[in-house]
Amino acid sequence: MNNTILWYTTRGAGAVSLVLLSAVVVLGVLSTLRYESPTWPRFLTTGLHRNIALTAVVFLALHIVTAVVDPFTHLGWLTAVVPFSSYYRTFWLGLGTIAFELLLAITVTSLVRGFIGHGTWRAIHWLAYASWPIAVMHGLGTGTDTWSVWMLAIDAVCFVAVLAAVAARLLTTSPDPLAADRARFRERVSRKTPR
Amino acid sequence: MEHDHTNDMRIRVRDSATRTLNRLTAVVAFGAIAGVAVLGVAGSYTVSGTTSSALGATASTSTTSGTTSNALQSSSTSVGSSSSTGVAVSGGS
Repeated sequence: MNNTILWYTTRGAGAVSLVLLSAVVVLGVLSTLRYESPTWPRFLTTGLHRNIALTAVVFLALHIVTAVVDPFTHLGWLTAVVPFSSYYRTFWLGLGTIAFELLLAITVTSLVRGFIGHGTWRAIHWLAYASWPIAVMHGLGTGTDTWSVWMLAIDAVCFVAVLAAVAARLLTTSPDPLAADRARFRERVSRKTPR
Repeated sequence: MEHDHTNDMRIRVRDSATRTLNRLTAVVAFGAIAGVAVLGVAGSYTVSGTTSSALGATASTSTTSGTTSNALQSSSTSVGSSSSTGVAVSGGS
């Protein structure tokens, strides 16, 4: 395959992965807000969150594979697995490796959620809040198109969307109608549990 | 009877939402494939290395021409034959 096509694919897949990851974060936050309407049931948000997350992993894999197999870059497979092992832009590529591994941990634990328990899954899922900004920093630091107008526009849209979703999450109280009952139940159970 | 009607409504809403989910997922997947192609092409037009290296070549030509102004002025045919030496004329004058 032509080296130039590999390079363009790496850059295109990187930008698309950022958009998909941002959509995944926004939908994840919306699912915690329990948003629903007569035409948009809650499982649609969580289903879309899951499907786009899996799509993002595929495009992230495309981004990584095309970057590694490109003979011009000579990055090597170790760079894709071990953070900060690259000879080229060690720090920025290392951030990309970390973001990918965090996302992989989140995806794998979500797929085996039934086996590891809700608490463990939830704790690992919080890593998404670290994975996204690390991925953004990776793109800003090492992206060839970082200062292109179209890439700046994509970055801005993703940043504003995620920031708005997180702000909504922080400012909105949980609309869980059973929140008070759950809290009461937990309190009673903890009182009865022998220490 | 009323209970059956409510269940039917729920099933219809859920089926409709599932179809919407499948459609949206397909749109996102195909959109992402198209996005890679479009952004790859956009990237090919904004490769920073190509533009800066071309500018660098022009600058080096004009600098060289400044030091060898006599030779360039004497050979007017070569200046007219190519664009890079055309830049050199401005340095010689």
